[in-house]
Amino acid sequence: MLTCALAIFFFVMALIFAALYRPPNPSVCGRNESGTRVWIWGLGVGFPLVTLAALTAYGLFIGERLLPREAPDLVTVQAQARQWAWTFRYGEDRAIATDGVLHIPAGRPVNVEITSTDVIHSFWVPRLAGKLDAIPGHVNVLRIEAALPGTYGGQSAEFSGRGYREHVFTVEAHDAASWATFLAEGTQ
Amino acid sequence: MTLPSPASQPRGKALRLHLALARIWASDQRIRGWFTSSNNNDIGSLFLIVATSFFVIGGILAMLIRAQLATPDSAFMEPQVYNQIFTMHGTVMMFLFAIPFFEAMSMLLLPGMLGTRDMAFPRLGAYGLWVYIFGGSAVIIAMLMGLAPDGGWFMYPPLSSAAFSPGIGADVWLLGITSIEVSAIATAIEVIVTVLRYRAAGMSLSRMPIFAWYILVVSVMILTAFPPMILGSLLLEVERALNWPFFQVENGGDPLLWQHLFWLFGHPEVYIIFLPAAGMIATILPVMARTNLLGYGWVVAAAVSLAVLSFGLWVHHMFTTGIPHMGLAFFSAASTLVAVPTSVMIFSWIGTLWKGRARMGLPMLWIMGFFATFVIGGLTGVMLAVVPFNWQVHDTHFVVAHLHYVLIGGYVFPMIAAIYYFMPLLTGRTRFFKLGEVAFWLVVPSFHITFLSVHMAGLLGQRRRTWTYDADQGWTALNLVASIASFVMAIGFALTILDVAVNAFVAVRGRRNPWGAGTLEWAGAIPSPAYGFASIPIVQGRYPLHDDPDLALHIARGEGYLGDASRIRRETLIVSTARGEPLQVVVLPGNSVLPFLLAVVTSTSFLAPLFDAYIVAGLALVAVVALALVWAWGLGGRVDEGHVDAGHGAMLPLASECRDPPGWWGSVFLLLADGVHFGSLLFGYAFLWTVAPNWPPHSYLQPQLWAVIVALTGALALTAGPRLAVRAIAKGGTAWPAITLGIVGSLALAIAAASVMLDRPGPARHAYDATLWLLAGHVGLHTILSAIMLCYLAARVAAGYASPARIGEAGIVKLWADFTVATGLVALAAAWLPGAFA
Amino acid sequence: MIDILRLSLPITVWLAGFSAVYALQGLSCSRHWPADLDARQVLLAAYAVAIVLQLIALLAVLYAPSKARFVQTTATVLAATALGAAVWTLMPVLATSVCL
Repeated sequence: MLTCALAIFFFVMALIFAALYRPPNPSVCGRNESGTRVWIWGLGVGFPLVTLAALTAYGLFIGERLLPREAPDLVTVQAQARQWAWTFRYGEDRAIATDGVLHIPAGRPVNVEITSTDVIHSFWVPRLAGKLDAIPGHVNVLRIEAALPGTYGGQSAEFSGRGYREHVFTVEAHDAASWATFLAEGTQ
Repeated sequence: MTLPSPASQPRGKALRLHLALARIWASDQRIRGWFTSSNNNDIGSLFLIVATSFFVIGGILAMLIRAQLATPDSAFMEPQVYNQIFTMHGTVMMFLFAIPFFEAMSMLLLPGMLGTRDMAFPRLGAYGLWVYIFGGSAVIIAMLMGLAPDGGWFMYPPLSSAAFSPGIGADVWLLGITSIEVSAIATAIEVIVTVLRYRAAGMSLSRMPIFAWYILVVSVMILTAFPPMILGSLLLEVERALNWPFFQVENGGDPLLWQHLFWLFGHPEVYIIFLPAAGMIATILPVMARTNLLGYGWVVAAAVSLAVLSFGLWVHHMFTTGIPHMGLAFFSAASTLVAVPTSVMIFSWIGTLWKGRARMGLPMLWIMGFFATFVIGGLTGVMLAVVPFNWQVHDTHFVVAHLHYVLIGGYVFPMIAAIYYFMPLLTGRTRFFKLGEVAFWLVVPSFHITFLSVHMAGLLGQRRRTWTYDADQGWTALNLVASIASFVMAIGFALTILDVAVNAFVAVRGRRNPWGAGTLEWAGAIPSPAYGFASIPIVQGRYPLHDDPDLALHIARGEGYLGDASRIRRETLIVSTARGEPLQVVVLPGNSVLPFLLAVVTSTSFLAPLFDAYIVAGLALVAVVALALVWAWGLGGRVDEGHVDAGHGAMLPLASECRDPPGWWGSVFLLLADGVHFGSLLFGYAFLWTVAPNWPPHSYLQPQLWAVIVALTGALALTAGPRLAVRAIAKGGTAWPAITLGIVGSLALAIAAASVMLDRPGPARHAYDATLWLLAGHVGLHTILSAIMLCYLAARVAAGYASPARIGEAGIVKLWADFTVATGLVALAAAWLPGAFA
Repeated sequence: MIDILRLSLPITVWLAGFSAVYALQGLSCSRHWPADLDARQVLLAAYAVAIVLQLIALLAVLYAPSKARFVQTTATVLAATALGAAVWTLMPVLATSVCL
């Protein structure tokens, strides 16, 4: 996307500079009728339509793949935001709770049910997925999946007042064994 | 004063006409003249100076932000202060600088471009100016007292609700900004009526200068985009003040309602800011390229479609709020689609450059700065329209950089070009000191260094609105570079302002039309005299000065329409909307302190609630109505003049003796804004009903038969009354029985509305009850307005201000009554239907 | 006034249709939607209606032309743009998931 954008930018700039510093004999594009055809129809309408159709379709295709669909070994966790902390809950009856650290199994799709108890926040773990807002009264579901076990940084990404900068959390992705241990210890 | 100075012609006639007109149109030369003038030159200049001052204030705030972000773990500001600073930077730049600045430019230039003598409603323009000055100053003073809002310039509740933002910061924002929006709506109405009706003879729609098209489109956008925001502010303010729970989930509200209302305004706002600048480019660039605009009609079509498309984009600011993917996809597709009309404009301009022979010069330089910057802003905008990409960079510095590319590149740079281009016209002087080039080369490169760094920081994950960052986050170098370059940019902007100021006051006198432009604003004397044109030009093409190089002379000699000052009043021409045929002669009001006084009481009614002075606010509101009536009473006349000589053998009626005087047109467009406001309220109601978590309420309002009957009867009477009154006045008969019928009708409708409130006491209980009160309040307000107008009409008839010819006022009252009936019935139906079917 | 409507109405119809389909989609994911009604089919029908409305608007502009040539050309371009915009912006109805 960046390369294409740069190419378009330099193309437009080249057209402008060519216009400013070209020899004074009027070219084909100079006359009004053909000028309209080239500039308005060709470059003004045709060019962006083609590029944008491709880009939009691609974006929507990717977007569809990121949606929280049904999956065989899906894990669901709850993320509850408040000024300026996160509480995560796990298990069938949400009996296990952790503050500030979200535990997930690696290599399995995870649905995060995001909500808030006070103002609007946003759940964002840049390396795992895009962001999704935590809105009081609403539950938004975000699909994340960590390929490998490890620790991932997360943060709130919607301005929430004084403590916004410190409103961060971490995601701990476990391998199968330690995920089982985590669930077992939590239920005790 | 530079007078037309043709070599061989006798000057006597032009000079006599100039002196006579100058006397008629002069503003008071004493200090009080500042407060009583309504001339577009005076109002526009004041507007421009005040808007520039706010730009300076906003710029200082920006420098404070960059100073804070220059180094990691900065101790320069605390988060509480930083939050106020960035909120105010956005607010000041968007509301106090960007919109008023182009309004100022249009007030200064539009009458000249259109070939008329002043704006359509000079006093309304003055009123808008003063409301803006008071509202803007109040917001700034609050900031200096440390009471500024600190929730970000889009003020999302619940963060901006009373529970999380106690204190008056948020109220300052809501009330101050709303008063400025009222001012913008006043100006927009003035611009629309001016463009549609006040033009040179023969200036059909296809011959209008391109800027007039752009500013017409923008003004209609203001009328349709600001009302949702005004409604949002109203809802949030009553929630804060009276606890009506529109955004509180537990009582049936929903914070997402605010986001919808805000971005319904906020996205079109971006184009409201960009399009006037685009209009300036489309005006300036062809002249600098010594040719005409390529594809004029295409550019007009692109501007109109861009304007309408921009209303279908608001959700793209809400991609991360959990809206289903199909909903996002609609807005993603629409967001990429707006790139098409934008690109039509861009390529039309580049094609114009190819068609002509470009010359450089400071205006052109700034336009090149626009291209280099805006194209990047547009491309990053397309990136942001792609949903998955947006999910990552939303609320990071990438978005910050994108919007600065669009707004500074797409608005500030072209507006500086416009200032330099029109300086000979506005000040009568040609640039002499060449500080401007230095300033340009300081601003544009450092702008790119600053905001390319900010783009990068955003891609590396720096969130916007965080007051500082850690040294190990990897953003230190980028931020330092951005800060240093931003200071260079600030110096460049300061030099630009200095350059303009110095040249405006001390540079050498210039000659008329230095750029060789073809449009009418260059056909008058420079600097433009108060009366604009000595006579209303007659045009046969899009570029009248190219068609007739001696046009300026003919105008100055009074050879156009109304080139006769013997009636000693401020007259100008009204033409037919599409074809520009002369239709009416309108008499514009003279100097008056009324607009200033009305602005004082209006601002008082807005600002008094900040200090819980509700009684003062109520009294001020009464004073608003009283002064408005005094204002209206002073217009019009008691005798029929019949047709007057407009020159060229045309005998035209006075506007006050027509069925569609400018006031009627103004009312139509004010009611458009009012209708959009009402529509937004219905949208909010439907939105809460559909998605708010704690719905349905415990019970729905059960309609009572008597109230329904009263409402229907009242509606019938209020429809019939004004119609019969118009007919009676047209026939010279007695109008008061019909007017009384109308008043009774409006009172009946008001009673029906009151019954809704009485049946559901306690609007603070549930968002449903609060919405019912607002619906009923809408009906109540409009029925009271209708009743006041009808009483006023009765008084006017009794005092002899109405006649079969002077019937325009009655038509205006009829218009308002019809609107009251239509929206009143819809509002009551919306209140009653859920209960009737539940 | 009629000329102003010629210029502005077709594209305003697009805005209305676009907003209506979006509202319908929102409704289809809300508690008010009957469970046995297939949202996709209703949305597809709405998409078709929106396109038909734009076609009618375009034909209206073509068959009730303005006297001013400029207005007529611009109005035709705008009505065609509105038709294209309706087809393009509501296209997601065909493919993307409705309520996820």
